[in-house]
Amino acid sequence: MELFFMTLTTGVMVGGIYALVALGWVLIYKCSGVLNLAMGELTLIGAYVSLSFYSMGVPFLLSLLFSLIIGFTLGILTERIFLDKLIGEPVLTVIMVTVGLSFFFKGCVELFWGTDTRVFDPPVFSIEPIRLGPLVIGEVYLFSFVAAIILLIIFVCFFKYTRWGLAMQATADDEMAALSLGVSARFVYAAAWSIAFMAAGVGGTLLGNINGLNISVGFLSLLVLPAVVLGGLNSVPGAIVGGIIIGILQNFCGAYLDRYFPGGVKEIAPFVFMAVFLLFKPYGLWGWERIERV
Amino acid sequence: MSTTWLPCGDYHQNYMEDHAWFQTKFIKGKMILLGLSLFVFIPLVSDSYWLSVCNTVGYTILGALGVQLLIGFCGQVTLGHAAFLAVGAYTSTLLTLEFPWPKLLIDWGLAYPFSIIIAGVVAGIWSVLFGLPSARVKGFYLILTTMAAQFITVDFIITQYVAQIGGRGMAFSLPPGTIKVGPWIIDTDLKVYYMMVVLVIICVIGLANLLRSRAGRAWVAIRDNDISAEVMGINIVQYKLLAFFVAGFIGGIAGAFWISNLAAISPEHFPWFVSLWLVGVILIGGVGSIHGAIFGSLFMVIVMEILQLIIMQFADTAIGEKFMMDFLFVKEAAFGLAICAFMIFEPNGLAYRWWQIKNYFNLWPFSY
Repeated sequence: MELFFMTLTTGVMVGGIYALVALGWVLIYKCSGVLNLAMGELTLIGAYVSLSFYSMGVPFLLSLLFSLIIGFTLGILTERIFLDKLIGEPVLTVIMVTVGLSFFFKGCVELFWGTDTRVFDPPVFSIEPIRLGPLVIGEVYLFSFVAAIILLIIFVCFFKYTRWGLAMQATADDEMAALSLGVSARFVYAAAWSIAFMAAGVGGTLLGNINGLNISVGFLSLLVLPAVVLGGLNSVPGAIVGGIIIGILQNFCGAYLDRYFPGGVKEIAPFVFMAVFLLFKPYGLWGWERIERV
Repeated sequence: MSTTWLPCGDYHQNYMEDHAWFQTKFIKGKMILLGLSLFVFIPLVSDSYWLSVCNTVGYTILGALGVQLLIGFCGQVTLGHAAFLAVGAYTSTLLTLEFPWPKLLIDWGLAYPFSIIIAGVVAGIWSVLFGLPSARVKGFYLILTTMAAQFITVDFIITQYVAQIGGRGMAFSLPPGTIKVGPWIIDTDLKVYYMMVVLVIICVIGLANLLRSRAGRAWVAIRDNDISAEVMGINIVQYKLLAFFVAGFIGGIAGAFWISNLAAISPEHFPWFVSLWLVGVILIGGVGSIHGAIFGSLFMVIVMEILQLIIMQFADTAIGEKFMMDFLFVKEAAFGLAICAFMIFEPNGLAYRWWQIKNYFNLWPFSY
């Protein structure tokens, strides 16, 4: 029973990080209809930038801030150089451009930072676990979860109450109407990409704090795809719930199924789940069902 | 863009001429020249290094044909084709190494050719299994399920279970002399090259013929609009699964062919990168034509080799040395940029340019 609760809490905590990255994904999809397969590389870039600053002796929070600023700039640049020209192109074209971007970013990251696992040194969070009653939680997990939740709240508030957030929601809802009301669609797309870069950067930094940072962190953030499919592609609450559910599922499979199927059950389980889930409910829990006409 | 306009003054007078493969004497001559250069000229002039480059091109063509069929002709986007290459490669390896073939077949060198065919069938069935979701989902969701196929097949089933058969650990080594076709033991690049050329020609002709049959027209109808295809009386589930089977079959043949070029086979030969690479190849070559798969493979493989040669020129400088060490990463970045550039500036691919050039000369001087 203790194992059960332990797994559950770890799952929720890791799921919080996935939810953060998934939020960035959903954001891009909602605003510009781009299905982004480069999310893993965005997390990598953010994580490596903040790690570099941290290794240079900059305090952790400050280096996180720097990585946010760089992510913001990169987001705008990416959108302006690559995605801006593709508005209105077929879906496959745009997806493949994001795939190309993901290769480009990954190659660059590997060239700049190498493939060895690097850790935040000295450790940002103490190794000493925190005890909450019977539960033992690593400090990293707890802080990551808290940070993820705070950021989620900031994002939700941003969308609900600020002018820019409203403009982005309007564009997502109906681009033509938003344009005629004076919303600049190009500005909205650039904002979406830079916010996605920033969310991914925070997520990547937190993931890098858990087990050290290498290329496989990029693979970890491919797990946002099962999360967004579960929640529905264009639903912000769906992304959060989906992320947490995928985190829990992954940890349960690691804890209980690993004995029977040794090896990589933990990495594969979300994808198996996704493939089966798609067969029964292709639009996710809260996604919009698309009705097709000839 | 599938047909080329004939030169002025060439008219078909009956259906036989209209359906002929080589519609004019000129085209027939071109094809004979192509065959001659493939079988005689290229092996004569190229050394072992360029032959191995040709073999990589052939492998990429075989892999990309299946992807071209799925994406370009049937509209089913797949990002997990390396899984089927892996299934084919492992089936063929296991069959040649472990299966108790009758002595006669081994003596006649038929074990490996048979295993290629069986590998194709197994990979085709495996592909149909992961094509089943296409009955219900499409577009982005289908991309996700094919991605799942890649991770489930290569990273889990093959790495954890299939690669452990026989207790060899991760890599299956293929002892020299196991790969035998007829009287020839495939051990040099030249022999691999000839096998590659024969397989590519068979697959290209087979696929091209399939595409002008009922099945091919049904696939194109599904690609263009699946609801209207269904209204026209095409059983779309059946034809989608048939497309998955044929694509998997060609993929399996590609994988089974590739083991003849490798000393040992391990799951690392079939990462997700290969799947994406194949899709990138057909996007660069041009979606929706067999030329596209061939041009894309030629372009990508040869550009990467040239890139490597250029970097080698600067090997003594500090940055050149670093790039040499990490060439794989340079390759990844260059591939990514190439895809982006093609999608933005030349979305129709190289095959479209080729078609335009050909038509320009066919219709010259009255191109209207």
